Amino acid sequence: MKNKKNRIEYTIIIILFAYFLQNCTTAKVTIAKKTGTQLWSENCIRCHNIPTPVDFSDHQWQTIVLHMQVRANLTAIEAEKIVDFMKTSN
Amino acid sequence: MRQKIILILFFIGMSTAYAQNSIQEQLDSIKVEISTLKKTENSHFKLRGFAQFGLDASSDNASFNMTSFNPILLWRLGNKFLFESEIEMEYMDNQYNLSLGYANASYLVANGITIKVGKILVPFGVFGEKLHPSWVNKLSDAPLGLGHDNGMLPMADIGVEIRGGMQLGLSKLSYSVYAVNGPRIKDGTTSQTEAGMLSYENFNDNNKNKAIGSRIGFLPFSNSCMEIGFSAYYAKPGAVNSPFANDTLNMDMNYKDVKAILSAIDFSFVKTITPISGLIDIKSQYNNSNVSDATYLNPDTSGMIKAARYTFKNNSNAFYLQVAYRPTLINNNILKNIEFVGRYSNYNTPLGSLWYSQQSQLSYGINYWFSWRTVLKLGYQTTSGAPASMSMNTTNNMNMATSTINMFQIYLATGL
Repeated sequence: MKNKKNRIEYTIIIILFAYFLQNCTTAKVTIAKKTGTQLWSENCIRCHNIPTPVDFSDHQWQTIVLHMQVRANLTAIEAEKIVDFMKTSN
Repeated sequence: MRQKIILILFFIGMSTAYAQNSIQEQLDSIKVEISTLKKTENSHFKLRGFAQFGLDASSDNASFNMTSFNPILLWRLGNKFLFESEIEMEYMDNQYNLSLGYANASYLVANGITIKVGKILVPFGVFGEKLHPSWVNKLSDAPLGLGHDNGMLPMADIGVEIRGGMQLGLSKLSYSVYAVNGPRIKDGTTSQTEAGMLSYENFNDNNKNKAIGSRIGFLPFSNSCMEIGFSAYYAKPGAVNSPFANDTLNMDMNYKDVKAILSAIDFSFVKTITPISGLIDIKSQYNNSNVSDATYLNPDTSGMIKAARYTFKNNSNAFYLQVAYRPTLINNNILKNIEFVGRYSNYNTPLGSLWYSQQSQLSYGINYWFSWRTVLKLGYQTTSGAPASMSMNTTNNMNMATSTINMFQIYLATGL
């Protein structure tokens, strides 16, 4: 009885995991082909809510994104595209 | 005569128009110069940080808490140099604490290689380095074992770190390797009941060796929605000389060969899923600490341990799993700002030590986001098991006293 219950639990976990994986694999684009908007929404949300570009000025964004480039191990292209997007959207 | 007057007026008009054009051109060129100067500003100073204030209420106590006010100073020089520091101001348990959370300088040597020196946040797992700020943490406190006060993990230390991120096909890899002063083993001379515990507040090293560690994070999918991280940390936490050098009875005891090996695995999944109209955020981390066997002095032979000297398997572990859901795709301005969060965590310290504890905690929360960085957190938490202070007073580990504490929490947290 207990084994049957365990099997059901594992099956549910595997189905959920497979569903998550399927969701993750929908967009297959390299960083170089992504826009700043895309990188901004994909990377910031990994730890916190997506910031509003109008909250900071150009110089402030440059400093904040450099801070996040170091903290979140962003590549140089990612950081550059995100800063450009923030500067054009604030 | 009339023609002359018209001619003079014509020339006056022309010269005025020319003068206006000339002034306009000069103004335009000044504007361009100013904007160029602004864009090439080489250094910039920014004050950021976070704060949290709230109320904890249990069946026998209700207390307002100012749990944190942490200003963060950032100074950027060009596009490659960054100085960052965090001042931690906390008021907890009737005590005001002021400390330096971290203070370090980073230099971006090349794409994917950054060198960091100073007091760094130790990249062991992700909670301590990335998720601890009160406006980032979805609940008002840290999971068991991962907090500042009772944590089993290194949070911040002085040393040097190399880190970076790179693309591997459609996937991404992030890495960090570091050498820091490392922990100090508590030998029981100052707090006898904590003998064998690792203390990470060790800013003056007690020996010549350094703790070394690394974290590798792998983001397999091109949209970076999932990350799996592996962390490892090795240290020799004992001093070269015996702490009992002046005690003829116990001078044979020393901790110079004690080794500590820590490991962790962390998982993150964050993705907006259309069929459920919202954002799912799953975070998890398992941590293990293994300190090699050593002998400690027993302060009280009438208590839990009868022998004058004792030893134990010095293994600790902590785990947490957090799931959050926010209906961001719902077309209602109030509902889309509400977030539901649940977290399970547990923390076990070594059986046979005087600080043995075995605790688990279930936390539930409903958050309301006023903006992307300001949140009101309503939470309910049940902590059960035996904290270290209770297990010490018992005479038999197997019949250890347990308790359950229910706590209601309401907190306002903001990122500055």
